[in-house]
Amino acid sequence: MDSPTIQPIPRYLQQSHERIFENNRKWVASKREADPAFFEKLSAGQTPEYLYIGCSDSRVPANEIMGLDAGEVFVHRNIANLVPNTDLNVMSVINYAVRHLHVKHIVVCGHYNCGGVKAALTPADMGILNPWLRNIRDVYRLHEKELDGIEDKDAKYNRLIELNTIESCRNIMKTAAVQQSYQKNQYPIVHGWVFDLHDGLLKDLKFDFEETLEGIMKIYQLE
Amino acid sequence: MKQHVPPVDQIERILQGNKAHARRTLEADPEFFKGYADKQRPGVLWIGCADSRVPETTISDSKPGEIFVHRNIANVVNTDEVGANSVLDFAVGNVKVQKIVVCGHTNCGGAAAALGDANLGPNLNKWIEPLRELRKSHQGELDKLKTDYLRGLRVVELNVQRSVKNVKANATVQQAMKGRGLTVHGFVYDIPTGELRALDTAE
Ligand SMILES: [Zn+2]
Ligand SMILES: [Zn+2]
Repeated sequence: MDSPTIQPIPRYLQQSHERIFENNRKWVASKREADPAFFEKLSAGQTPEYLYIGCSDSRVPANEIMGLDAGEVFVHRNIANLVPNTDLNVMSVINYAVRHLHVKHIVVCGHYNCGGVKAALTPADMGILNPWLRNIRDVYRLHEKELDGIEDKDAKYNRLIELNTIESCRNIMKTAAVQQSYQKNQYPIVHGWVFDLHDGLLKDLKFDFEETLEGIMKIYQLE
Repeated sequence: MKQHVPPVDQIERILQGNKAHARRTLEADPEFFKGYADKQRPGVLWIGCADSRVPETTISDSKPGEIFVHRNIANVVNTDEVGANSVLDFAVGNVKVQKIVVCGHTNCGGAAAALGDANLGPNLNKWIEPLRELRKSHQGELDKLKTDYLRGLRVVELNVQRSVKNVKANATVQQAMKGRGLTVHGFVYDIPTGELRALDTAE
């Protein structure tokens, strides 16, 4: 480790930095007022019922849009809510949430106006983002016929966002953790949702979990 | 034991919670969603743990739109891992955040698991390997601490410092640090009190 030294932080940054701490103290005070034992209970451990996998986009904060409090939902967020089959980052999250926390539901939440999906639709060299965005282009390829058939640019973009969300759900169902837990416990159930930035509402993509899982297990079954 | 709640009700609860959130947002500011979909302008990229007890926007009492977020098991950032580095590139190169926060927390399950060598399966073993390495390279210091809680907390701090260092190794981050004064910070969130504290991560 490098030996730590104190560096002055520019004033405007110092201010926004301090605001986080100030707001944090305000939040603590309001929580304590409502329930003096709030933090004591959280210290005892976490027992979330949900795992949420969503986009990093600042406009889609998991707890806020679902109306859930601290301690209620385990969260993974990356660019465009992807679940790449060989990504250790998301796979370790799913593993921990299913095998150790025994979550009952896994929610994949995409959102319209997703910059990550937009970037994947744009022919540009994005450097390190290329391999990541390629996953979204693969989703396009899987649904090429349907997407090419949509004339309207925005409608096509929106549909790719939905299909990308469903693809992430499918990839979750391919994992041994989910298949084995579901066979034993009938949970977790995987849900695909899209958040609409125009009205703040969640839309359930309503794919049939049982049917999809059955189809997946025909090829990907892991006993 | 957790009380068993029928799955349908658990989902209904979220969908109701979402409607209530949208309604409250509009009550507080009828114009809130106007232009909201056009562009995001968050000042901060938050790299935190997936732990349900550390929701970044909630604990910092921030508004939707203020914090760009990556959360994974034990807020690990490796220099050779695509997921976290894609977030860094997108947040710094495209969204142009002004600061990056790596936030660890007390009572971290990942850090607690790193105090021993129990087999957690191939995924998790691999993912928390860097924390186990930190534990081994600081064994002497950790042995002097009295409880596993404190040893776990020390691993959390070391891990935040490691992640901060790896964030600063990203080429896009380096460019923005030199070019426009982007700064990188290490925080630890204290679950027993709910409070955030800054770690000294300057080099
Ligand atoms: Zn997005
Ligand atoms: Zn943690």
